[in-house]
Amino acid sequence: MVTRVITIVGFAIVILALFVLEYLGRRKDNRIPTLGEWLGFIMRPWPGRFLILLGWLWLGWHYFSR
Amino acid sequence: MAADDVPRRPDQPPAQPRWLGRRLTVRKLATGTGLVAYSWFAASTEPFTGGALLIVLVPGAVIGFLAYGRPPARIPPPQSLDIAGFSYWAITVAVLFEWEAAAFRDNSQWWHPALTDLVDPMLGSHPVKALAILIWLLAGWGLVRR
Repeated sequence: MVTRVITIVGFAIVILALFVLEYLGRRKDNRIPTLGEWLGFIMRPWPGRFLILLGWLWLGWHYFSR
Repeated sequence: MAADDVPRRPDQPPAQPRWLGRRLTVRKLATGTGLVAYSWFAASTEPFTGGALLIVLVPGAVIGFLAYGRPPARIPPPQSLDIAGFSYWAITVAVLFEWEAAAFRDNSQWWHPALTDLVDPMLGSHPVKALAILIWLLAGWGLVRR
């Protein structure tokens, strides 16, 4: 039981950290980029764009098709 | 008209005609309604069926077409990234993957569930699944604009 709770709390902390980073990135004079900024940077060359879009498609298939 | 005689400041963008603004609002409303309707319909499909595969493949094909065939106006990406700033993201995403991989390695037991096993029961509710699909579709649109 304790291990399950630790796992769930771990996921919650990491996901919360992603939201905190996005919040920090949106503040002025901050070195942390927003999610959109770094994804946009990775998506500049076509392989990056292709891989990110493929990841998006995989996410949809993983959670909604199966 | 008198208003036409007023000199415009050079840094001021040309004013958008009112009818164009209204048309864009109607278009956005129609698109939004369509996306909500699609998400609601898509959420009703049973997993592991052809229908469930199609509701993902169709938006995938549309996004692929938009990305490579008719790309919309893109939000200019930054020319460079602050490595230290980006490292916070990289570490957090790596920890998320590691946490997931650890659960996956243990065959996602009850005592160490993978994220999928935690999310799946939530997606059992029709409105929640519809909302998740809507967010996924909007994320796809957001990615195409990047």
